[in-house]
Amino acid sequence: MSDAKVSRAEWGTRFGFLMAMIGAMVGSGNIWRFPFVLGENGGGAFLLAFLILLFLIAVPGLMAETALGRYSEKGVIGALRDCTGPGGMAGLGVIVILVNIALMTYYSPVVGWILYYMLQSFTLEFTAAGFEAEAFWTAFTNSPGIMVLMHTIVMALVAGVLVLGIRDGVERLVVYAVPGLVIALAAIAIRALTLPGAAEGLAFTFTVQWEYLLISDTWIAALGQALFSTGLGWGIAITVGSYLREYDDAPLGGGFFTAIGEASIGVLAAFAIFPLVFAYGLDPDAGAGLTFITLVQVFEPMPIGDLWAIIFFVGFFLAAFTSAVVITEVTVTTVFEESPLSRNQTVLAVTGVIWLLGLPSAYSVSFLDFADFTFANWGLPLATLAVMIGIGWYFTPERLRVLSVNKTSGLYVGTWFNPIVKYLIPVVMVGIMAFFAYENFGTNEMIAGVAVLITFPIAGYLIMNYFDKPEATTDTAAPGGDD
Amino acid sequence: MTGITPVVGQILGLSIEAWIGMIIAIIAFWVLATWALFKTLRQDERKLELVDRQGKIETYSPQALQDLRDWIEANPDDPLVEEARAEYNKCVESLNEVDEPFYDWSQEKIDNLEKL
Repeated sequence: MSDAKVSRAEWGTRFGFLMAMIGAMVGSGNIWRFPFVLGENGGGAFLLAFLILLFLIAVPGLMAETALGRYSEKGVIGALRDCTGPGGMAGLGVIVILVNIALMTYYSPVVGWILYYMLQSFTLEFTAAGFEAEAFWTAFTNSPGIMVLMHTIVMALVAGVLVLGIRDGVERLVVYAVPGLVIALAAIAIRALTLPGAAEGLAFTFTVQWEYLLISDTWIAALGQALFSTGLGWGIAITVGSYLREYDDAPLGGGFFTAIGEASIGVLAAFAIFPLVFAYGLDPDAGAGLTFITLVQVFEPMPIGDLWAIIFFVGFFLAAFTSAVVITEVTVTTVFEESPLSRNQTVLAVTGVIWLLGLPSAYSVSFLDFADFTFANWGLPLATLAVMIGIGWYFTPERLRVLSVNKTSGLYVGTWFNPIVKYLIPVVMVGIMAFFAYENFGTNEMIAGVAVLITFPIAGYLIMNYFDKPEATTDTAAPGGDD
Repeated sequence: MTGITPVVGQILGLSIEAWIGMIIAIIAFWVLATWALFKTLRQDERKLELVDRQGKIETYSPQALQDLRDWIEANPDDPLVEEARAEYNKCVESLNEVDEPFYDWSQEKIDNLEKL
């Protein structure tokens, strides 16, 4: 590691840090996924299950990650090296980076779809006479050239922001984009709630069906939403936390506000989307197609629908794009610290690799679906497990709690934090991977998932064992310590 | 357009269950998130003001500093104990030097603190 070049940037303001955390975690999933998962799983009952899991798992997990980032002031590999010591076990950080790159290879094409829809909203396509949403979507997804072009533009824009650096690039983007997204969604929600039939959408979304709390599917859906929508274990909170200033707070801003704030935007999306869907008699069970096929149909019959389409897709693009920028920053920060490359070279190398590996997903929607299923169900829990093993079993939660979590903290975090980080989150991650392996036993997706579970840890161990010599670092914490 | 009054009527006509769900959502998410946002921004503002005026602030609350001390005493051989001791002593020094602490420290508590 080239310590000499690591003169770390800092967030200019606490607001910038908070918006970066929210911007990273509020992605396309919050806009289309949260509302329909909520509606399909008992409305208020789902919210209750989601809240319990959010506080029990996501909030402490994010606190731990942010505090480790602040403590180490390093990217993912460096931070986890501080937990494990140098050598093969620092490969836990490599696992996170590999998963992060894999995630971005199919997320960038999705951001490209949203960019395409946003550009079409400016040409007033969705309110043109004879517009047919399904035919439009089919034509788009059967045009690989356009999808590859959109993926290329997205990665070029991501590289452009990252080349500007943490303060001038990432922070400047998120402090405008995240409030812009909230304003766009609030405007849509206000408009939607004044449409005849909107109440049906609210009833569908928020009616408390208590019996759903007795169904395991409700809890699994709530767990998935609580974990994956908060980006726990992706290295985002470690990276964003590593740029915190000396007196900044990790638990209140990095854990509590991030988790609750991110979920709040999902709730706002529910207030915006389902009243619209019901007001225009559309299918609320459209799932993933809700945004790209179902929702684009509401703008044509809506008064000044052109404007609302633009507002919606600009907001949607801001949500997706800020996530893409911050998720890519995780790899950029780490590779910059661990390689002899300059920051600009690193940005170009990382975005170039993601662009190249993303071409199959940009070319084929079915390949993208395959990658998404594999990495969402096995890759992301594996990355979270890697981070929590580093913190929970090497650094130990109690050392992190007394040295970093409660340092300059706005919330006091008690010893309840320790068993959650050490036992509960790892067990939940193993449970998620086992559940999806059981549910998809023998499928190609399951085989690909198992391949990820085997190859990524081995690759991480071998890479760090070969390159990470003990004498290369001096500031590592030996495993052990009391809990 | 049928006007806003019938829409308000429809929304007011929602079931009790739907109202409970909406209220849970608004309070549990938006109210808490807004509270956390303002609390952390106000704390940041106050910290910056104290640092500007005094040059520094203490780094731990009374309870957190006690936890740090307990951990140091319980783990004298830990590889990070020297770092923990330095953090503890830095906080004690800051408390003795600043006019106004950030956390809820009484003068009596500060006077009773000793470096490790």
